[in-house]
Amino acid sequence: MLINTVLLFLQNALPIFIITTLLLLRFPIKALNTESIKWLVIGLLICIISAFILSNTLENLSQKVDGKGVELFFAVGLLLIYVFSVCLFIFNETNDGSTVKRYLAFIILFVISCLNGAHFIVYLTSYWSQAQQIESMLLGMVLGGGICVSIAILFYFLLKFADRNFYLNTSNYFLLFFAIGQLMHAIVLLQQVDLLSSSHPVWDSSSFIAENSELGQLLTVLFGYETTPSTTQLITYAVAFIIPVIISNSKTMLLSLSGEQT
Amino acid sequence: MNNLFLTRYLKITCFGLLFLLPFTSHAKRPEFHIEIKKHLFYPAKLTIPANKKIKLVIYNHDDNIEEFDSFDLNREKVVFPHQPAIIFIGPLPAGEYDFFGEYHPHSARGKIVAVKQTSTKQALKEEKHVN
Repeated sequence: MLINTVLLFLQNALPIFIITTLLLLRFPIKALNTESIKWLVIGLLICIISAFILSNTLENLSQKVDGKGVELFFAVGLLLIYVFSVCLFIFNETNDGSTVKRYLAFIILFVISCLNGAHFIVYLTSYWSQAQQIESMLLGMVLGGGICVSIAILFYFLLKFADRNFYLNTSNYFLLFFAIGQLMHAIVLLQQVDLLSSSHPVWDSSSFIAENSELGQLLTVLFGYETTPSTTQLITYAVAFIIPVIISNSKTMLLSLSGEQT
Repeated sequence: MNNLFLTRYLKITCFGLLFLLPFTSHAKRPEFHIEIKKHLFYPAKLTIPANKKIKLVIYNHDDNIEEFDSFDLNREKVVFPHQPAIIFIGPLPAGEYDFFGEYHPHSARGKIVAVKQTSTKQALKEEKHVN
């Protein structure tokens, strides 16, 4: 029960913490004044309320579209996260339209919080109603929360250091890998409801790093790690990485071709 | 944000999604059923044909939520009380694939056995014979 809660917390809360870290690196909070605290609290409340509403509608949603409702809804949300994150990746260096980028960042955070939060609320309410081992569950949440905060802080300073000392775009590429991870999740959901075909697994790396281990969970969140990927998943991964990188690198060339100044 | 690049990026994304369309499938799949009663899966061992995608209908008879979870099958599905849930699995190479109920991992456990087409009928007969 304790380990189960910790793993569930890692699975659901870690993506929220990681994306918060990646977005904080991009949009640093220079000073915590009353205005920014007010917006932070409003944003947090919107995310929590939306997650509660979604968790209550999941049961009805699960019976829509021949029992494919939840998967379709989540897949669309995850695709949105990928598209908006790639927007932030490509337009990393341009200073124009920073307000648009902030809106995109908020939408990414909002969608991730809603999808993962709703799943976790379903789990919590299920255990709460059964009144089983509540102490273990609370302890698991505290432990899981502590692990998530620790990883997020460590990740923040590691990426900040890497950005300054090794490669300027390290955190930017981590954002892209995170987005591809979300896209991979969407692909699995669409395969689960037979909207995308799936083939035999190309390899099985579960003997090296199991997906249900703590390291496996971390790699899944960071890079979309999969122990048994299908051909569709591998092709999508490659395309989802290569196209944004090409667009990002050819931006200067395209600008000069269209007659604009960089 | 530069509109020219945003438009180009969105066009490429749309083409990318269109690229996935040929991978969609609407074929009729063989159907198998699993039931959840008192936090246990029935049957706990389900034999399916190897190398074939199948439709799995999981019906939860309990008053509590359960989640069908399998790392081997790469599937995860919340099953609400007194409701069915549908997932598609495979095509799987011959072998055994564990699954469990995420909310009751100690009691709700089972496995899916994928067997080659020729031996599927034999396995099903054996299962019926045992039952």
